Amino acid sequence: MNPIRSFADLIPDAVPAAESRQGAERSIAIRGLAAYYGKHKAIEGIDLDIGPGVITAIIGPSGCGKSTLIRCINRMHEVIAGAYATGSVTLDGTDIYTPGSDPVQIRRRIGMVFQKPNPFPTRTVYENVIAGLRLNLPRKSKADYDEVVERSLRSVALWDEVKDKLHDAGTALSGGQQQRLCIARAIAIKPEVLLLDEPCSALDPTATLKIEDLLFSLKIDYTIVIVTHNMQQAARASDRTAFLMADENHVGHLVEAGPTREIFLKPKDSRTEDYISGRLG
Amino acid sequence: MQTRIHFMEELARLNHDILTMGIKVEENLRKALEAFKTQDIELARDAKAGDEVVNALQLKIQDQAAILIATQQPVARDLRELVSIFKVTDNLERAGDHATHLAKAAIKLAGEQPTRQISRIETMVETCCAMIRGAVDAWINHDVEEARKIAAMDKEVDLEHKALVRDVLEFIKEHPELADRASRVLNNSGYLERVGDHMTNICEAVVYMVEGSHVELKD
Repeated sequence: MNPIRSFADLIPDAVPAAESRQGAERSIAIRGLAAYYGKHKAIEGIDLDIGPGVITAIIGPSGCGKSTLIRCINRMHEVIAGAYATGSVTLDGTDIYTPGSDPVQIRRRIGMVFQKPNPFPTRTVYENVIAGLRLNLPRKSKADYDEVVERSLRSVALWDEVKDKLHDAGTALSGGQQQRLCIARAIAIKPEVLLLDEPCSALDPTATLKIEDLLFSLKIDYTIVIVTHNMQQAARASDRTAFLMADENHVGHLVEAGPTREIFLKPKDSRTEDYISGRLG
Repeated sequence: MQTRIHFMEELARLNHDILTMGIKVEENLRKALEAFKTQDIELARDAKAGDEVVNALQLKIQDQAAILIATQQPVARDLRELVSIFKVTDNLERAGDHATHLAKAAIKLAGEQPTRQISRIETMVETCCAMIRGAVDAWINHDVEEARKIAAMDKEVDLEHKALVRDVLEFIKEHPELADRASRVLNNSGYLERVGDHMTNICEAVVYMVEGSHVELKD
């Protein structure tokens, strides 16, 4: 009657952190994080480590604070009037909420992609990719911009599809292409972290799988956090999963975080099991 | 709020079929034993025919489990339950085959004087039937404690088998002219010993389904 092994022991980590390009860099540590919209507390007591070289999925029912949490990771939360956060979010050991730190610089290091593809409507594909560079950094030469556009579009597997349409409107692309263009725009400024808030919810299954494949190829170079409502997507496309749930006062808490394979095969908390099994109404 | 009602109903239906499969295997085993004891060829044929029902149930359950995996995307315990159903039904089907072996032996040995080991075979069948019932109940009720108790019964079957082997060897020394008949009894004891192993496998599947860990319940 001896337990001989657990499922998880048999499978090595999907991508060991050591394989990532920058090793231990690009790590995020969230401690005691609470976020408010005016007097309403949206999340509290969040302690979460987000490692480099892996994709971390944040899942949970509507209203549990998933989007609020990732918006706190690059200080986008405070953009909303009356919204603020307490606690700490450190990137490579530096607290991004330290008084005096520049949110714009933080957002350069921590890029974000939103639910609905949002290329700048009056800009071409080319201009969309370099929009962040033009806003944030000293002007570069045309050759430098050309290099960034090609590199960024190749990174998101879009180059071959749009290389002859670089000067067409970004909005002329398909929905899936537009979302990959937005990811290209986000990585053109070489952030360390990429936050994606339900990036596939407006896309068809084929475009969704392309984005998921893309994330796998990008995770070597970026710390990736994805918020998703789609449990199968979290199971397919992430290495670690964090499950959030709101309490009776509608305040979101972290219930459980761990390797995705464990969360989806053998979660520790019965609330996680109920949610991922679809039993949490 | 209860959700996934359809999925839960489908799972319940599968487990109902597993229960039916277990009942049928036990019934066939008892019929085969009775045929063995009474040399009732018709009853033995009935037990053999019953195995076709067991085989059909195995395929039906496994097909339905595959459909649920494909269409419902189960995770966590639901997933462990559905993948373990293949192990449970495979082992029940093998146990059913051993009941058929006993029925076939009953047909072959019909008309010959039973050897003295029949009482040991009877004891083993009783223990095996208790294990079949207990293992299936533990599965249906997700009862790990019961599964461990049932698996422990396999030791009784093994001990009885070993005692029967010793007895048969003695018997052959005493009655070499009955060696062929005695060896058939020995074969059947071996089949019953395997039934105990198959039920232990089901008990291990219960632990995996409930706790998510692989355990070795056989001593």
